[in-house]
Amino acid sequence: MDTIFDRPRALRFIGLTQMLFGLLGLIAGIGLLLAMETGVADPDATPPYVLLIFVGVAIPCLVIGNYVDDLRRRAVIAQILYSFTAVILTALFLGVYGIDYHWTFPWYETTFDVFIGNLAAAILVIQLLFGLYLIVKWSDVVPPPGVTIERDRTRARLIERGELPSPLSTHLLAADGKTELPQEEGQRLLQVRKLVTEEGMAILCSNCGGATPLTKVDDDNTLRCDYCGVRLAVSSVFVPCEHHPEYLAATSCAVCGDHFCRMCLTAQEPPVDERWEGSTVFLCQKCFEGRFKPAVTTSSLVLPIENLFGVAGGRFSKLGQLYGKFLRAYGGIMKHVVRFSLRMASSMGRSGRGGRGGDNAASFFILMIIIIIAIPIAVGFILLVAGIVIIPLLFYVGLVGVAIEAVRIIRRTDFISLQEAREKGIKLAKPVEKKESVLRETTRSWEGPSLAGASRKSAFESRRDYFGS
Amino acid sequence: MTSEVILCPVCGGKVIFQAADTVSRCSYCGSPVLGKSQDRNCVHHPDTLAKAVCNICGDLICELDMQKRVGNYGGKLFTVVNCTKRECVRESEWARPVNPEYERLTNMDWADKIDNSILRITGMGALLMVIFELFFFLSMLYIQFLTPWGLSDNIPYWFIRGDQVIVLSIVGNFISAMLLQTGLQVYIHERQLGAGLMLFVILVIEVVVLVFRGLQFNLLNFPNGMYLLFLLGAFVFASFLVFVGALLAIRIGWKKRKQLERAMAELGLSK
Repeated sequence: MDTIFDRPRALRFIGLTQMLFGLLGLIAGIGLLLAMETGVADPDATPPYVLLIFVGVAIPCLVIGNYVDDLRRRAVIAQILYSFTAVILTALFLGVYGIDYHWTFPWYETTFDVFIGNLAAAILVIQLLFGLYLIVKWSDVVPPPGVTIERDRTRARLIERGELPSPLSTHLLAADGKTELPQEEGQRLLQVRKLVTEEGMAILCSNCGGATPLTKVDDDNTLRCDYCGVRLAVSSVFVPCEHHPEYLAATSCAVCGDHFCRMCLTAQEPPVDERWEGSTVFLCQKCFEGRFKPAVTTSSLVLPIENLFGVAGGRFSKLGQLYGKFLRAYGGIMKHVVRFSLRMASSMGRSGRGGRGGDNAASFFILMIIIIIAIPIAVGFILLVAGIVIIPLLFYVGLVGVAIEAVRIIRRTDFISLQEAREKGIKLAKPVEKKESVLRETTRSWEGPSLAGASRKSAFESRRDYFGS
Repeated sequence: MTSEVILCPVCGGKVIFQAADTVSRCSYCGSPVLGKSQDRNCVHHPDTLAKAVCNICGDLICELDMQKRVGNYGGKLFTVVNCTKRECVRESEWARPVNPEYERLTNMDWADKIDNSILRITGMGALLMVIFELFFFLSMLYIQFLTPWGLSDNIPYWFIRGDQVIVLSIVGNFISAMLLQTGLQVYIHERQLGAGLMLFVILVIEVVVLVFRGLQFNLLNFPNGMYLLFLLGAFVFASFLVFVGALLAIRIGWKKRKQLERAMAELGLSK
């Protein structure tokens, strides 16, 4: 499995540039509409241009750019087609109108020119470079068929660090234990298999869930499933499940240590700890809910109270940090600007006595200072106004998210046993997502900087290599 | 001819037998599985079927040779099992031995049914309160800015119109979020009693703040009586659920606390 971090930088640049073109197209389209509304642009001639900009530039550039940035095969193909179409159209345009073609717009008492010909030439060069790069670097920018790209950044980061081995397929396997059965065959097997046996304690197959009596264990400590035919290893735990005494326990719960069958266990990501050998920990339902001991769960009921406010106020604080950064930077620049302007003012007074040239220079500097001050003030004002609206809105949205999460918890829909996960995966043809609760820290919340040491990392890398081989 | 793949009985992952006569581990989940020619009995008691694997040496052991410990894996408590060999005990000392008698005396399975009811009652009540507060926020914004009654200064403000509505509504939303958070804590044995008591306190604060807001916003004079009636009805219902849930949580939480105290006294343990 590859991750979104395997994307070449140039591809990201292309995606972002394309999205920027889309954004500019969007702004241009809206601008034309406004110009038409205010009577500046011709109401009969403008709509086709607006439509052309929206359909031909804004929407395709935003959509394609976004997906190219996501490292998607079809998006790259679309980008190549789009680039060469743009190259042909701009070349035709230049051939017909020439590079000096421009539009002149009235602007209060004056006018300004948009050099359409130059713009077309720039687009031609850029899109040609994009198209050629994508073709030449085809193997680097397009994931091979069948390769899954992990686009979730959190998971991708874990995979890159070697802390999250690739998940097992949810498809049923054929009797050889390797070949994946077609979905229909898997479903048929699930429908005919039996979960009970009359011949004493049974072992539940990790492939199809069927119960095969332990009396059929071969001398080599393996067992062939009565239903799907795969050969199963036998767990070292020879005790029945706490809840289902008719089944052999698959393993013990990592928290309480009691023994459970596959139907009573849920899989969680493991702690980052050298003492833990596997890539998964298993928990029973009670420990998953974390009623008595703080379990390692993805959505335990143990919700630290500070996290609730963390969720609702998280976005608030992020905006606050942005404001803080902006204000600090603003203050830092202003300090120099004020000092500079004071110096200029004093020197202006002195130079003014000498001749007229000093006044012109001073006017220029004052203009510069106004621009330097006016821009941050304008940006600050916009941020402030946006903040007044956005912060309560985000807070509100955060609370709605908290309420939805609470409903899930009260309904206790979080616990998905291994058995359920596998069956759902086969029936829905996609693995069940192990969703992180928004109210809790991630399962690796305890991972501190001390754990990210070189020796530990090399252990992860070696494990990753092992799984990768 | 293809080699036969053996699947892990727990996760279905490929099992690589590194040694045929010792415990191997699944390549994916790390679950221990028997080696191909491994005896299934305890290494120290050959007539007894093994029940666990030592987490240090990997020997199969029965209950007689087993030490169960609870260890802290970066803040989370996990149970591990080791055998009685000196080096295995030494290597496992980061985890504290489990006291089986204490585990038995502090078993709280008896409360499962009532705890489920308590969680649903308090959870639903607190959730209704959150929804109520969210609705109240939106409806007050609507009344303040989009109705002639709100625009004609019936609702007081400090500096700009609507500032009191926004600030006091956010306060109400915070309190309801605290109520929800505390309402969900009643499901945890150790926090049940405290959460029940805390629910009472927060409920009182919520009622006081709501009444204050109603009076402050001059809602008694709001022309649409149905709106006020609806708000009061929803609030009273949610408060009732939280109140009942809190009472039950205190009662059951108190019993659990007594059970823990009894267990400690019986075993001569200090707190």
